[in-house]
Amino acid sequence: MSEASKNNLAIEARGLVKRFGQEILAVDGVDLAIEANTIYALLGPNGAGKTTTINMLTTLLEPTEGSAKVAGFDVVMQANDVRKTIGVTFQETTLDKELTGRQALNYHARLYGMSKDQRQAKITELLALVELEDAADRTISTYSGGMKRRLELIRGLMTDPNVLFLDEPTLGLDPQSRARIGDYIVELKVNRGMSVLLTTHYMDEAEQLSDKVAIIDHGKILIEGRPSELVDQMGADVITIAGQGNRDDFIEKVNDLSCCETITTGNGIIQIGVDSGSRRLVEIISLANERGFTVEDISVAKPSLGDVFLKYTGRQFRD
Amino acid sequence: MSAAVTLWSKHMVKSVHNQMEMTGMLIQPILWVVLFGVGMGSLLGPSMPGGEDIYITFMLPGIIALTASGGAIAGGSTWLNERLQGIVKEYLAAPIPRLSILMGNALSTVSKGLIQSLIILIVGIIVGANITSNPLGWLGGLVLVAGFTLGFAGIALSMASSTDNMGAYHSMIMLLNLPLLFLSNALYPLETMPTWMRIGALINPTTYVVTGLRYMLLENGAEFAKVDTIPLWLCFVAITIFTALGMWLASSAFKKSLK
Repeated sequence: MSEASKNNLAIEARGLVKRFGQEILAVDGVDLAIEANTIYALLGPNGAGKTTTINMLTTLLEPTEGSAKVAGFDVVMQANDVRKTIGVTFQETTLDKELTGRQALNYHARLYGMSKDQRQAKITELLALVELEDAADRTISTYSGGMKRRLELIRGLMTDPNVLFLDEPTLGLDPQSRARIGDYIVELKVNRGMSVLLTTHYMDEAEQLSDKVAIIDHGKILIEGRPSELVDQMGADVITIAGQGNRDDFIEKVNDLSCCETITTGNGIIQIGVDSGSRRLVEIISLANERGFTVEDISVAKPSLGDVFLKYTGRQFRD
Repeated sequence: MSAAVTLWSKHMVKSVHNQMEMTGMLIQPILWVVLFGVGMGSLLGPSMPGGEDIYITFMLPGIIALTASGGAIAGGSTWLNERLQGIVKEYLAAPIPRLSILMGNALSTVSKGLIQSLIILIVGIIVGANITSNPLGWLGGLVLVAGFTLGFAGIALSMASSTDNMGAYHSMIMLLNLPLLFLSNALYPLETMPTWMRIGALINPTTYVVTGLRYMLLENGAEFAKVDTIPLWLCFVAITIFTALGMWLASSAFKKSLK
């Protein structure tokens, strides 16, 4: 088959750069090595460069610099082969609202050269998967947001892609719909052996669904790894403090404590990774008092990818 | 090119199901012929040798050209709409030639234009225009209309690819609709125009499609057409060049919009 079977990488990218005009550097040197049959999340705030990266990998945009391969095919030199092997759902709805769900799926599959019998069988199967059988013959303009998203998901699946790209698949949906779509995505990997690259700014989505996550901001990937590993690096608990006063002295003294695993600051917030939040809380507060640092707000929580983001960017994850 | 056919089919199916569009598409040519043709005919007819019937016959090709360019403008509007709604992304991610994406749109514009031309001819006959019964004339005429529409569709598509604003698109393209008709021999012979206007008319593809249609579609068409001393072969050549130009513009603008 393709090279992908040899080295088992569904998606590769080296030094991907995208510049728009003279001024806008949307993607600033992205490297990826995504294995087959995994779910990989690109996590970052709006404007981080996620959509532009996906657009390059799905051949909608040509990279300004760098190269990429999907399923072993080069995205510029072998664009048509890439297109044959991928499915995509875009950030915004790209459905033709005057068509019915069934018509939308049908025309889509025709563009990929599927025969009438293949199409009909696939449409029936996929409508059942996302429970849209009853709505299939109504026009898409009558669908709810969740229904449209589900339809777009199965439209991307019509052609049995090897690699599926999902750009913010649950954006703007209610929690129930988000959970459902999350379930479908996992099922695709487990039951159908697909490789999935999804972008999201929802941290819980990245943590729950992905095998690996990369944190992206300002067009660069800052850190990559299994969600659990990234979070474990932060410590068992994280104490977050906002306050005023003698910061540097306080921070220095905290760093000297043996219970502290990491300490990050940004935006006037101090984060301390500790081995046990409840035990260390009192210690930290008394230390602050001693050192002339007035604590205005303090909280203890299990670390999350948001804390990882803060560590690597020095900024809070703005949702 | 089967992708172009798939997209053509999608556009046609959508149009057929769109009642307002269908009504407009069918009624508009009828209204143009009856109101403009009959109205202008009774105004100018008495002063022309041959009377009203002659004027209707004379300007029917102009109505066809006007309707065709109007259809092209609508086609560009559809394209801009699909770009803005993100529908074009689905096409771009599919393993189809980039050109077939444009052709799907252009072909549906041409199809609709041909249907409207047929309606115009039939209604024209009903109100007294002298249309030829020679099937080759009809065939040649429709080929000219198809070429003209395709060229105009190309221009409209290139404009629709170059902006993200529906209002801006319509401002740009409206300049080309009615003025282009007036700057041609559709409504009056070339010799009645001042020199500067005649020059403008001679580089206007509308002049060539109108003259060509007079040769092909009208009883004694050659009589009408010869007035402007433009030979038939030149009409076909000019329209072919126009078609190629329009398609090239559309394709370049499309590629540029993908950067």
